Amino acid sequence: MIRLVDVVKKYEVNQSQSVVALDGINLEIKKGEVVVLRGSSGSGKSTILSLIAALSKPTSGEVVVGDERISKLPDSFASDFRRNTIGFVFQKYNLIHTLSVEENIILPLVPINLDAKEIKVKLERVLGMFHIAHKAKQLVKNLSGGEQQRVAIARANINNPQIILADEPTANLDAKLSLSFVEIVKELKAEGKTIVIATHDPLFFGLDVVDREIEISQGKLL
Amino acid sequence: MLLTPEVLAILVLNLLFGLFGAVAFLLSLKIFLKWDADATTPLQYTLEKQSFLAATIIKYIFSVKVPLFAFFVFTLDKISGVITGAMCAAGVVDATQSGMYLIALKIINLYLFASWLKLHSIDMSDKNQPYTKLKFGLFLLFFLSLLLELVLDFRMFGGIEIDKMVSCCGSIYSSSSTSALSTLFKIDNALLLSLFYGNYFLILLFFFLKKKYLFGMLNTLFLPLSLVSLILFFGTYIYELPSHHCPFCFLQADYYYVGYFIYLSLFLGTFHGMMIGFMPKVENGYKISLLFNSLYVILLTLYVLFYYFKNGVLL
Amino acid sequence: MRSRINLYIVEYAINSLLRQKYKTLFIGLVLTLLIFLLSSVFFITNSMKHELQATVDALPEITVQKIKAGRHDEIDVDVIDAILELNGVESAVARVWGYYYFQNAGVNFTLVGIDEYEEQYKKSFVAAASKLDFTKPSMLVGEGVKRVMDANYYKEYFNFIKPDGSLKRVDIGGVFKAETELESNDIILMSKESVREIFDMKENKATDIVVRVANFNEVATIASKIKLLYPDTRVITKDDLKISYQNIFDYKSGIFLALFTTALFAFFIIIYDRASGLSSEQKREIGILKAIGWRVDDVLREKFYEGFVVSLLAYVVGITLALAFVYIFHAPFLREIFSGYSQLKTSFALPFVLDMQTLALLFFLTVPLYIAAIIIPSWRSATLEADEVIR
Repeated sequence: MIRLVDVVKKYEVNQSQSVVALDGINLEIKKGEVVVLRGSSGSGKSTILSLIAALSKPTSGEVVVGDERISKLPDSFASDFRRNTIGFVFQKYNLIHTLSVEENIILPLVPINLDAKEIKVKLERVLGMFHIAHKAKQLVKNLSGGEQQRVAIARANINNPQIILADEPTANLDAKLSLSFVEIVKELKAEGKTIVIATHDPLFFGLDVVDREIEISQGKLL
Repeated sequence: MLLTPEVLAILVLNLLFGLFGAVAFLLSLKIFLKWDADATTPLQYTLEKQSFLAATIIKYIFSVKVPLFAFFVFTLDKISGVITGAMCAAGVVDATQSGMYLIALKIINLYLFASWLKLHSIDMSDKNQPYTKLKFGLFLLFFLSLLLELVLDFRMFGGIEIDKMVSCCGSIYSSSSTSALSTLFKIDNALLLSLFYGNYFLILLFFFLKKKYLFGMLNTLFLPLSLVSLILFFGTYIYELPSHHCPFCFLQADYYYVGYFIYLSLFLGTFHGMMIGFMPKVENGYKISLLFNSLYVILLTLYVLFYYFKNGVLL
Repeated sequence: MRSRINLYIVEYAINSLLRQKYKTLFIGLVLTLLIFLLSSVFFITNSMKHELQATVDALPEITVQKIKAGRHDEIDVDVIDAILELNGVESAVARVWGYYYFQNAGVNFTLVGIDEYEEQYKKSFVAAASKLDFTKPSMLVGEGVKRVMDANYYKEYFNFIKPDGSLKRVDIGGVFKAETELESNDIILMSKESVREIFDMKENKATDIVVRVANFNEVATIASKIKLLYPDTRVITKDDLKISYQNIFDYKSGIFLALFTTALFAFFIIIYDRASGLSSEQKREIGILKAIGWRVDDVLREKFYEGFVVSLLAYVVGITLALAFVYIFHAPFLREIFSGYSQLKTSFALPFVLDMQTLALLFFLTVPLYIAAIIIPSWRSATLEADEVIR
């Protein structure tokens, strides 16, 4: 499903200096797998997520998702791929606070100009799935942390993507909410989704639902 | 020098076009020389970003230029009130040496920019963006053409002398005058009309046969033929005057602004037709092209028919 | 279809504008003010042009003035006879008129003399001639003049001061009205005899001579013939006047515009600067949008919709305010710049003139400029590195 071949990613600090974020990564993740990327901050695990999502391009090497060499896609195709295939769950939820729950969730659909009916069908599916239908019209800023998390996950699932990428999903959650996130991961796994979680939260280490743990340090897999 | 608010507005916008166009030109040059779709260098990523800026600028210039062209003709019409002897835009165009070429150049530039945008959208809908180098290379040329237009614009308004006596359109577009256009009047109406309608029916034929190159060529030919027959023959029926041949007067309110509709349908029809012939991978557009070309032909033919039914004779 | 107008993005754009209230408000206000100023100026000049054209339209085809030492001088009445002999001339009338400076109010009146049994060169004078009492020193005054005189307690009569310092008393016989207010506002009509007395002109002299021509096409020929007959005259045709009026106004608004372009340039810089400054919050937002599948083109489009909403709103509000300012409140301050001599003239109301072309002109001078100013900043934010939101 996801394949990284000899991937190197450098960030230019200035004209002469550059930082190596990933240094020759080879990685394959199968369909339906739940993978945890372990590592301290700055180890390069978030960079791997952004490469899989085609948010950034590798300095060398190749990223293939399904049959698509996404590291070669121009912006418009990369964006379409991201919208249809990838669901992103961010560390700080990254919701837009002045919009309502509904408006936040349908944000990925805004550029494709669907008609109102189609949007409604998709919206109701995820509202029900993540138990936030009763808050649909409220502004996000009035929600509790756990509710905001569910909105963020609902948004990631609006297009029913095959791959879910989560970046430090429990960093801002208390113990109870963190556990409920693990439950959600189980549900998504049951639906056959491929899930990649980048985290240094020990909660995920040795969990049943996790198929594989990969340790990263200084841009290399250990 | 003529400094009316309208002229100033056109000049200010021209300045903007020149400035932004120059930015797009420099970016295009860089992209044209250094674009490498396979590279993963920071330079290539920067170029990819910059290609968006260049394309946005070109889109901006085109989308302002289209309504500005109408405003330009409008302005010439207004200035005609100030210039002795000129009664509509045609007189003003005549008041300067380069007026006629300027109008022609403006039309050509509209076609060039529209086709650039077409190529751009074809390029963007392909995963490999195969025409990126080509389109930015083409813009290098198109920009020069734009620059020439801007310079001519400036020279035209700078060159208009209010006190100078100029011809009114009646004398420019008539067979007895000595202007360059008058040689056209030696063409026989019957010959011209058979060419015009013949061309149209060939377009119709190749619409059904779907031969794209011939369809494109015929549309290219149709544009000048239409303009000439409009001035020489159909115009007189719009004005219902045998000697009035002006291609600008029917843009005025007296003729219900029908000119804008005539020119717009001619543009849309021929442009889409040309795109089918000359652009890679354009398959649809036959219908739009035929629709607007037909609208053009039918509208002008109706003017003649109505005149005939009303008066029982032809002009 | 991505090419259609996407209402969802429009909605998002409006929401985004509301989120940055102060920035939006600031830019909106500056733009509205600019459009307001510009449209006020155009409305004023258009109205004045309209008034002047109407005035000129009412004039005879040709005016003949005598020039002496490069200045306008009194002309001999005999000239009329020679002009009348030219083929195609319908009539020729000697005009006696001039400006009278009324020091107490600091304004100029235009004194115009008419004769009872003469062919009147303006339509509005025909009615006035039958109303005016020619048996004693009497006058008809325009509305503006009437107001000024009332304010200075001249209700029944007015004392004109003659060049030698003595007074000439003239009764106010009524109010004079013409088609346009600009035409009649500052005018005082009285008999030619009285005007000559006030200005100390001789019986056989006139201010100028106006000539009517039956066939419009012969105007130029007749004008040149008069010029040949009397080389010391200036012969002005109606067309000349129209063009010079048009030029005066275009020139004035041209100068204003030249100044205005500096303001536009400053505005351009302000917008560019404002649109460039992205808060970390806005950067994060664009990052989110791209991470969930917005294209660079979608973000660009959203930015342009924002620009359109702001500039179109400012356009509509600015023009509406200008219409109210000019036609309801009579454009205080601004009008004085354009009437020029208004300090010396009595004030008058502007007629309502609004045409498509002015609206188009206003549009082209503002909206595309605003959009141009946001191109580069919008592109910058649309191509921000999106992976920053997850780093």
